[in-house]
Amino acid sequence: MAKGILIIVEQRNLEIRKVSLELLSQGRKIADETGEPLVAVIVGNGIEGLAQTVTASGADKVILIEDAKLADYTTGAYTSVLNKLIRKEEPQAVLMGNTAIGKDLAPRLAQRLGVGLASDCTGMETDASSFLVFKRPIYAGKAFEYLTSNVRPILATIRPNTFKVTDPDAARKSEIVKEAADIDAGDLRAILKEVAIAASSRPDLTEANIIVSGGRGMGGPENYVILEALADVVGAAVGASRAAVDSGWKEHKFQVGQTGKTVAPTLYIACGISGAIQHLAGMGSSKFIVAINKDPEANIFNVADYGIVGDLFEVVPVLTEEFKKLVK
Amino acid sequence: MAAATRQVYWNIEGEHWLYLLFVIALIFFSYGVFKRVQLWKLGKPENRWKDVGQGIKDVVVYGLFHKRILKDPYPGIMHFMIFWGFVFLAFATAIITLQADVGLQIFHGWLYLFIKLTANIFGFAALIGILMAAYRRYIVRPDRLDNIADDAITLILLFVILVTGFLIEGVRMAALSYTTTPDQWASYGFIGQWISIPLRSWMNEAQLLSLHRFLWWFHLVLAMTFIGYFSNSKLFHVLLGMANQFMRNRGPIGIPELIDFEDESIETFGKSQLREFSWKALFNTDTCLRCGRCQDNCPAYLSGKHLNPKRIIQDMKVLMQETGAALEAKKEMATSVHAAEGHDEAEADEMEEPTGRALIGEVIPEEDLWACTTCRSCEQQCPVFIEHVDKTIDMRRNLVLMETRFPSEAQLAFKNMENNGNPWGIGWSTRADYLTNLGVKTFEENPGAEYLYWPGCSGAFDARNQKVSAALVKLFNSAGVSFAILGNEEKCCGDSARKLGNEYLFFSLATENIETMNGHGVKKIITQCPHCYNLLKNEYPQFGGNFEVIHHTVFLLDLIKSGKLKLSHGAGKTITYHDSCYLGRYNQIYEQPRELLKTVGLDIKEMAHTGEKSFCCGAGGGRMWLEEHEGQRINEMRTDEAIALKTDYVGTACPFCLTMIADGIGARGVGEQLKALDIAEILEQAL
Repeated sequence: MAKGILIIVEQRNLEIRKVSLELLSQGRKIADETGEPLVAVIVGNGIEGLAQTVTASGADKVILIEDAKLADYTTGAYTSVLNKLIRKEEPQAVLMGNTAIGKDLAPRLAQRLGVGLASDCTGMETDASSFLVFKRPIYAGKAFEYLTSNVRPILATIRPNTFKVTDPDAARKSEIVKEAADIDAGDLRAILKEVAIAASSRPDLTEANIIVSGGRGMGGPENYVILEALADVVGAAVGASRAAVDSGWKEHKFQVGQTGKTVAPTLYIACGISGAIQHLAGMGSSKFIVAINKDPEANIFNVADYGIVGDLFEVVPVLTEEFKKLVK
Repeated sequence: MAAATRQVYWNIEGEHWLYLLFVIALIFFSYGVFKRVQLWKLGKPENRWKDVGQGIKDVVVYGLFHKRILKDPYPGIMHFMIFWGFVFLAFATAIITLQADVGLQIFHGWLYLFIKLTANIFGFAALIGILMAAYRRYIVRPDRLDNIADDAITLILLFVILVTGFLIEGVRMAALSYTTTPDQWASYGFIGQWISIPLRSWMNEAQLLSLHRFLWWFHLVLAMTFIGYFSNSKLFHVLLGMANQFMRNRGPIGIPELIDFEDESIETFGKSQLREFSWKALFNTDTCLRCGRCQDNCPAYLSGKHLNPKRIIQDMKVLMQETGAALEAKKEMATSVHAAEGHDEAEADEMEEPTGRALIGEVIPEEDLWACTTCRSCEQQCPVFIEHVDKTIDMRRNLVLMETRFPSEAQLAFKNMENNGNPWGIGWSTRADYLTNLGVKTFEENPGAEYLYWPGCSGAFDARNQKVSAALVKLFNSAGVSFAILGNEEKCCGDSARKLGNEYLFFSLATENIETMNGHGVKKIITQCPHCYNLLKNEYPQFGGNFEVIHHTVFLLDLIKSGKLKLSHGAGKTITYHDSCYLGRYNQIYEQPRELLKTVGLDIKEMAHTGEKSFCCGAGGGRMWLEEHEGQRINEMRTDEAIALKTDYVGTACPFCLTMIADGIGARGVGEQLKALDIAEILEQAL
């Protein structure tokens, strides 16, 4: 008989990703509500130290699958070990983040286990008859659908930032189990040899919480340093408008807009960007938009929550200084 | 004068051998025609025998009188001289044949003198034309010409035929001058006469007579070679070109073929194989003479992209020839297998390119297909009316509908059009907001409105183009026009989707719009955007949407002419007008926008490329939604042309052009000197 909620904890360089903590927090609540145990699985190498964090976040049982070959995520090996573990544990539900890894792993697990998959969910509730019901947006967010499954386990990926992280409880205790990593040679079709991290230490545009973006008003590639200074103080990513990219000041990967990246950060600071519709199409759904522009007629002010009419070369350094004080 | 004539076959013996040579030449000629027809037959059927009267007129205007060829002065005049030279020489030859070989006694009197004179004048013109051609092709070497052996052979052949012709005349006149019956009419053949003078001083009669015999036979052999070579070389373009002019598309241009999505027997959409094209498309490739006018006017090519319309047509021609040869080889193999083993006829696999070379990807790179802005300048400049763009769209359709292979940026535009009915993905329910805030009523609120005003996605959503919408609304109100909008019921017209090959998306947008408009009983539509205009006017009828569609520039001019719209007449400002491809080349609206600008007292200066030769802004054919990775940016090149004129404004009549040129002005940092404005905005200032 299936029991328990199993959460696949995602770690990168021995650091647990925020989405996993979100899942553990929400999983704890459901475990308390339903009386099902909350089981966390961590896969990797040298991960023992993570068990404590996971326990504090709410796990009743932590399963560690350790192997040098599992140090980095590879599709084949992770699918294989998790498939075997889920078959052994027989949980009611398996949850993971709708991250790059989750999106890669979940459909493969669903296929191996012969179950359905609720992907990219933005909500999860208990249900008397079917245990869990998942909410997911469809038609570009115009409607929601509610999904459940009558086969076990129910498999779902949850969009990051869906649940809040509750404060960890360092006093919690859990059962810690080590499972042997049973990897066949056939599972290791790809081996990760090297990770070349792009020079930028700033967050990725699409994941960033804050984006500082510069347009034609920047005047040249050399002036981006003032945006970078601001970005580094507030932990933001740096973006650019099409005009700036076309002028060759920034690479295309920094472009926000219709033909670049679509972003939705909490805070978007648009500097010297006129707000052409091509750009708005890529950042219009940001939670707060701050616009800095010399031209009071600039269209960006029509969508901005806060607008500063002024020379960005004066305004941005002042902002940087002020944020520095606040961050301290 | 009535006695004027000359003896045909003078000084010649055994002239009947020429009939044998003629028969041999005819065999070569017929074989060449046969081979070509076999290749055209690889294509699918298509009826191009539509309007004979107009067809003949087109052959006269564009063929005989070179309407398009002459638009390029040097090659135009050069071609004109060669063409008419050979027309008159062919006429002369025909008359002589009728006299000498058929027996009609017509080669005398004024006709003889007329022939003698015209053959000299036009033959000489042709000679100059050939020298001009050789100079241009081998010394000037313009980028648009590529040289193959056929070009050289043809030029040399024509040159030697002309020179020997004149020499024969000169030698004959010189020889006759030794006799008692010199050529009385020599001055009509003035070139022959000039040649005869030095010849007579150099040679005696016997030498001249034997030289004449040699030259006569040499000239004859060359003339027969010309006939035999004609259908096997570029020379055949004379007939193919005229045939293509006769069969040209005279309707609104650029209407993609209708795909019936209800027809479940259709297994593939678009075209990815040579044999999926119509015979006319293949005929086009054979007609192409590689003159390169298309290449010289292609914004993609000129901005340094790999796409070259001439190469696409030529590469398809090569594939056609290879396909023909491969099928022939296959057939031969099948027959021998059949004979040896008694099998049923080997089934030709219809679904495979027999050459093993894929049309898309191997013959034509995919990037080329996506680089086209569908501006149709290539087709506009083509003297023989080759249709390049339709082929591109057919292949894009295949990539989108069958292969799902298209630039990744297009994916977002498609998705947005699908979900929210506009390419930016702005909530569909906010489409009406801007205009209703200006007090414009929807058709629902004002069902009796005379005109439907169609702002299009740009006019409804884009802040820059909303200003154009506001200007139009002001002008309409000032003239007392009864109009309403569809509001949130309007959807993207589907032009970008269709031109990018996503026919299915276009189909659903178009049918929905037509249903909405028919539901409201819409009769007349004013569009703000030339793309909407062209689509609603020329393409919606394919789906049962029959409306009277007017572009705002034409409508505003009518309002002014009828006195409903009164504008003040300013002075002192200069403007250049950028022709939108979809207004100009697609719908021949060149004059009305300029007239509007003149009515408000603007001084118009024309850019280097203007009117029929207008240079695309770079946003057509769905390129608005794609990145431009290769070469220079088309919009900046176009903006540079405007900047060079030092005018106060650059006027546009299209939201895409306005966006692209405003971008170009921004990129060049000349926003202080030059403003891009829609004509409606300029008129609004004069209210």
